[in-house]
Amino acid sequence: MIRKLLTPGTTTATLLTTAPKTALIISQAQIDARLRLQRSSAYLEAIRKLDAGGHTRNRQAVDALVDAIRAEFPEIAIDSLPVGIVAKCYLGEPYEVHSLDRLGNIITHYKRHEAMPPMLEKGRVLAGNPYYEFVEVYTDKIIAVTPRGDTSIVKD
Amino acid sequence: MSTERIIQAADLTFIFNALRSVNQDISTVSAQVNSVGAEVSDTRSNLARLEEAFLKFVAADLRAKELALAETRQIKVRQKLETDFGYYAEVRRQATGILQAADVNVVRAETIKAATEGLMLSAPRYWLAPALVALAAWFSDQKDLSRRALTEALRRDDEKTSLFFALIARRAGRANACRTWLDRYFAMQDPKLLDRQSVVLVDALAGGIFGGEVRLQCTRRIESWIEELSLQAGFIDAQRQQWKDGLLIKLPGTDHAATYSHLKRFSPTWNNLNLSLRQAELHEAILNHFTGIFDGPLTPARNVEVAVDNLLDSLVKNFDDEELPLRREDRLNQLIIEQAGNRQAAESLQALEVKALDEQVSFTQLLTNAAMTPELSHATRATQRYATALSRTWIREAHDDLTTSFRAHVPTNVALLIEGWNGDTSKGDNEAELLPSLGQYLDAERDRVLATFKLSAIHWFSVVFGVLMLLFSISGGWIAALVGAFSLGWFFIQKNKIDKTRAQLKEAAAKKKEQCEQALKATLAELVEWRRDLARRDARAEAVTQFIDSISPDQYVLASHDNARRVIPTA
Repeated sequence: MIRKLLTPGTTTATLLTTAPKTALIISQAQIDARLRLQRSSAYLEAIRKLDAGGHTRNRQAVDALVDAIRAEFPEIAIDSLPVGIVAKCYLGEPYEVHSLDRLGNIITHYKRHEAMPPMLEKGRVLAGNPYYEFVEVYTDKIIAVTPRGDTSIVKD
Repeated sequence: MSTERIIQAADLTFIFNALRSVNQDISTVSAQVNSVGAEVSDTRSNLARLEEAFLKFVAADLRAKELALAETRQIKVRQKLETDFGYYAEVRRQATGILQAADVNVVRAETIKAATEGLMLSAPRYWLAPALVALAAWFSDQKDLSRRALTEALRRDDEKTSLFFALIARRAGRANACRTWLDRYFAMQDPKLLDRQSVVLVDALAGGIFGGEVRLQCTRRIESWIEELSLQAGFIDAQRQQWKDGLLIKLPGTDHAATYSHLKRFSPTWNNLNLSLRQAELHEAILNHFTGIFDGPLTPARNVEVAVDNLLDSLVKNFDDEELPLRREDRLNQLIIEQAGNRQAAESLQALEVKALDEQVSFTQLLTNAAMTPELSHATRATQRYATALSRTWIREAHDDLTTSFRAHVPTNVALLIEGWNGDTSKGDNEAELLPSLGQYLDAERDRVLATFKLSAIHWFSVVFGVLMLLFSISGGWIAALVGAFSLGWFFIQKNKIDKTRAQLKEAAAKKKEQCEQALKATLAELVEWRRDLARRDARAEAVTQFIDSISPDQYVLASHDNARRVIPTA
């Protein structure tokens, strides 16, 4: 009888993440493996609230979102966390996407054809794709997250 | 007084006639220039067609020459293979022949022994020859000879000999011997650098050749190989990349220009649009490939002897490194022939396949090769299933990443270029905005051309001059009146001509505008269709994901032959 090497629900990334959850992971391969894991439902829910409106000037809500990102990746150093999140905007035309700029702690809604900061712009096309819930933008890659929390990575 | 007399005396009829004649000549020359212009334009387009035809001819000629060369080279390479390694074929043929002859006991031990010794003499460097002598000596119970021959076979190629005897021991039902040989074989293996014949081992496992303890030993070893490889830094990334490359082998080369002729003609973004469509088509190709692997029953060999004989055939035929450079050349020639002489296409195809012909590969590369290029790695369908199942997590991740990357590169804004007018659209739904813009551009273009066809200062001067001369004629006589009339007449002829040209230009511009508007509408309609087509093909990515998720490795190892119930018909 053959032992299942990779049972459903686990990913090969778990082979690499042996360090305790709270300890910071340093190697790039481990960070990549961690970032590839499925996103938690709490995190997905927090990001969905981006569209609830009113956050733009609500400092508390922005902070809560940034905290949700930190809580999702406790073992990842701050400089390896996403620099921003881009998602479809449901405010209706002419709004297309909105973004959370983690560095500027600001949520912005962008109209169609309105320019985004260059770093966040690279997540715009995928954020508009119906198969993805939102896109995490990193300095060297973007990660598209499906409504189930599955991830796929596109490196620059 | 004297001046008046001179003017009166001069006969200006000749000058008027000459001027009229010059005017007519100018009109004729103008018409001729127009016709020459039209002919030049015709000649230019004919020349362009000729150039295109010539380039096509050159390309076709090159392809025909490459094709002929490839066919000649293939014959030469195959002859060389036959000359240099032909005697291997003789040895190979006898390998399974000896086993089967011993099975039914119809050939005398001496005959087998004499035949194998003959082979030993004719194949001085080949590992299989002493292996067969050892086998013959084993049958005739000559332990000493068998041992010596075996030592020589192991010296020539330890790995292949060990695998060969492991399979033979399995065929003879000697579990202990089989395990010992496999142990020896495994001890020599480095999962990072496996010889290509290791696929035979996976074939044996996936084909249910090994039973009981040996099977367990194999699966354990395969697990430990994967674990060992997983500990390497960057292994998962390498796997994903390996599978991305593997999946991209299936990228279709379709050109959709025939379906989207307007987009091809009027959009500078066409190449990207075509690429995106090809990339979206990949999902269907991958799905077909994998369903092709998993659909339909496998036909297991009748019994273990036949199964092992097939593997032995594969082992002795397919994996001799000495022949590899010639085999590679043969493959390139074969690809050039298949690609109808297109050497570039053949070389890029070979570049994708080249890993499958590498002398040494990692175990996971072996799995990728078995799953994606079975015809080159000589993997059986059972092995393809097993390899796909073992690698499914990597395949899933590689496919997800590829899909996302394709989607990220789908052009959002599509540029349009119609007769010098530039516009852009996203979904092809802004016709109401683009049509006026195109119209304005073409109107401005028409006005710019019309502006060059208007009455100039010389025309107005001729009017003023004519009127002045007519006034002067009241006191100055009929000659001044004639000059005035001629001047005014020339003005009206010119004005008429200009009006006619302007009318023609306006008509041509209106026709061009209508054609351009039709072209814009057709291009936008094609873009809407293109987006639908893309969405339809892109949606197949989900089907691929679901299919890969539904695979599990333990389903895809055939039941061992030991467990199979054999019914022997009675006479």
